[in-house]
Amino acid sequence: MTPTTLAPAAAGSATAVAPGGRRRRVLMIISRYGTLIGLLGMIVAFTIKAPTTFLTLPNFLNILNQSSLTAIIAAGLTMTLVVGEFDLSIGYVASFAGLIVVGFVARDGLPVLIGIPLVLLIGAAIGTVNGFLVTKVRINAVIATLGVGTILVGLGFAYSSFPIAAGVPAEFISIALGKPILGIPNPIFIMLVVLAILWVILNKTDLGQKMQAVGGNIEAARLSGIRVDRVKMFAFATAGVCAAITGTLLSSLLGSGTLAAADGYLLDAFAAVFLGSATLRDGEFHILGTLIGVLIIAVGFNGLSIFGAPTFFQPIFKGAILVLAVGLSTLARRYSKA
Amino acid sequence: MQSEPTAWLQVRQFSKHFGGARALSEVDLDIHRGEVHGLVGANGAGKSTLIRSLAGVITPDSGTVTIDGVETRIARPSDAEAAGLAFIHQELNLVPHFTSVQNILLGAPKAKRFGMVDWKTSRRVATEAAERIGVQFPLDRRVDELSVAERWLVMISKALARNATMIAMDEPTASLSDAESHQLFTVVRDLAADGVAILYVSHRLDEVLDLSDRITVFRDGRVTETAVRGDLDKRGLIRAIVGREVAAATRPEAKVVDRVDPIFEAKSVSRGTAVKDVSFQLYKGEVLGLGGLVGAGRTEVARLAFGADKIEGGHFELQGKAVAPNSVPLAVANGIGLVPEERRSEGLMLDKSVAYNMNIAVLESLRSIPGLPFLSSAKGRVRAQGLVDQLSIKTSSINERIGGLSGGNQQKALLARWLTPNIKVLFLDEPSRGVDIGARQEIHAAIRQLADDGIGAIVISSDVEELAVLCDRVVVLCEGVVSGEIVGDEITEQKIIELSYAHIDPQGENE
Repeated sequence: MTPTTLAPAAAGSATAVAPGGRRRRVLMIISRYGTLIGLLGMIVAFTIKAPTTFLTLPNFLNILNQSSLTAIIAAGLTMTLVVGEFDLSIGYVASFAGLIVVGFVARDGLPVLIGIPLVLLIGAAIGTVNGFLVTKVRINAVIATLGVGTILVGLGFAYSSFPIAAGVPAEFISIALGKPILGIPNPIFIMLVVLAILWVILNKTDLGQKMQAVGGNIEAARLSGIRVDRVKMFAFATAGVCAAITGTLLSSLLGSGTLAAADGYLLDAFAAVFLGSATLRDGEFHILGTLIGVLIIAVGFNGLSIFGAPTFFQPIFKGAILVLAVGLSTLARRYSKA
Repeated sequence: MQSEPTAWLQVRQFSKHFGGARALSEVDLDIHRGEVHGLVGANGAGKSTLIRSLAGVITPDSGTVTIDGVETRIARPSDAEAAGLAFIHQELNLVPHFTSVQNILLGAPKAKRFGMVDWKTSRRVATEAAERIGVQFPLDRRVDELSVAERWLVMISKALARNATMIAMDEPTASLSDAESHQLFTVVRDLAADGVAILYVSHRLDEVLDLSDRITVFRDGRVTETAVRGDLDKRGLIRAIVGREVAAATRPEAKVVDRVDPIFEAKSVSRGTAVKDVSFQLYKGEVLGLGGLVGAGRTEVARLAFGADKIEGGHFELQGKAVAPNSVPLAVANGIGLVPEERRSEGLMLDKSVAYNMNIAVLESLRSIPGLPFLSSAKGRVRAQGLVDQLSIKTSSINERIGGLSGGNQQKALLARWLTPNIKVLFLDEPSRGVDIGARQEIHAAIRQLADDGIGAIVISSDVEELAVLCDRVVVLCEGVVSGEIVGDEITEQKIIELSYAHIDPQGENE
């Protein structure tokens, strides 16, 4: 009962416990700022290794330009993850949209100003179908969007089993490859506009707040009078539109509509969004984070190509990034609650 | 105290901080074998931090544990188990589709024969543990087919199968009926007589006083009182918990309510077997209670009025006009709100801020320009801050994560969510469950204020005392049917309990 005799033991155990707390703090810092530190680290390392090729304005613009397409589709994906759902169809939606938009403007001769809005509308419709299947039919989002995506692969084949390259109007090509304004390529502007719009929706409108509520606690959201199904459908529709934008831009860059051209964006988008969720905010999906995630992947790839890494290294890097990203995101969520 | 033998378990100088907040401060605690040790204190007083430290779920910043004379380090749950400490939480960590035997043996070292699990011996261990506390039901039934009381017995058997010397129980009677509670008390006493130490955590002070050999009271992370049986009565215990004298619960001055035009009315409302032909009126200025046992149809009625479930018969009338709330948004638009029973799972976005959680149901009214979907952060801030001040919600700022607040303050924030100019009727389902006494009184005051402001408040509670001290009128449900209505001074705990059992057992099985 006399505390004095016990004091030494208490002090001893105090030093014994401290490392646990410190480790926790370190992990929290890593999970919150790790992605940013990683990005800066890569930039510094590449600059030291290849000062003349890496840290140049043209290369910097090149990285941004290449990231634009990924950033747009990933921002759309962010919206579905914010409401607590998944969309595995976005890569296929982008490929499908990229194919039919060229079909519209090159084969069917539709004006670009009609063909593109039409394709974006189709993207929204596909997203709405996804949302309908998930909310009303109550199919697991992974299955529903994988099914819809696979159907789109088939529809793409049915539409054209070979690339459509003939008769692509110059104004369509110029969307992505037009004369840069102030030296900045068009896709960067388009990306900034899309991301700004989504950021405003998510953070400054009641719809965005509701989306976050639905993702945070769906039952509480429902009992707060939020039309949960509609909110989710909106998120899926947005993801569809963003995928269609990416697909359209890709076709404009390639100058043709090609089957399966944009399928690979799915993995990049997921990696970027999860990396982003571990950035600054503890495991929450957000637009700025997604952009940083996209940049990390783009800088990494840029570095790989500058240093002439063998091709097989690219999928290894991509897969590793995806695993790392989801790991960091999970860590961030865990330690934010400690 | 000096003459006491050395305790089996000695906690010395436990301290723990979360961020800047002190959760435990130099806490000493002695637990003897064979005693029931009551642990009481307001929410956030430190009880659960202490328990979680002993369970190895969190690590205290400093302090020691000595068990049976040996200083023991509890860094993880397996250390606690090895030391003979078992913990039963309200949520009862059972695998629902496993049988009782499987659950009892889950994770326990099993007897082996030739390197294979010897199920026969293992089974005997489980059966012996269950028999020790007089389990009557067959152990081969799946746990999800058992009642809550039976699940508690499975959890206790599980602890005994691991040779636990101390079992900590967190709010064991929260979901039990009176008869079931008494059955559990018998088990607790028998275990103590058998040399097991029971650490009994509860807000139900009568129970704690009745059962405990010793009681330790926590306040603000410190032990403020350690009393031996007979030292304290309920009043003294409350004083130790709150740190000030609390007036004995009394009914408020009977309010003269003009019971002419109801602002809200249920007319022969039905849904399946849960709600059968339920009618009641709510008049302006009164707090209406919905009483009855858990499962009597109270929550179900609220969910029907709120549009969360589909109504199958009858209708509701709001200020004389029939409303058919077939969706929550419609009910909200009509001015009906619901503070749900399960605060964390149905009410809060735990990771979001206090302001966010308060404003989420009224976002349309916080737009910068009506008609455009853009929010005014200033309007949101002003509303949240106003409500925080009005209900004296304790939070460092409206931007704090709501998950970090105490239960009482979370509850107040949920209530605040519905305080809009549009609100007409607010259902509050178990508004003070798991909330400490001080917060409870503040919540009650807030509910009374609602009624005084002309908002219809309907309180659902399993706590008959709460209904008795808070409500102007109580409608009691029993098996989905209204079994009685009591007004003003007729409202006593006794009367509510009688009506709650009105249909089940006319002879009155409850003691």
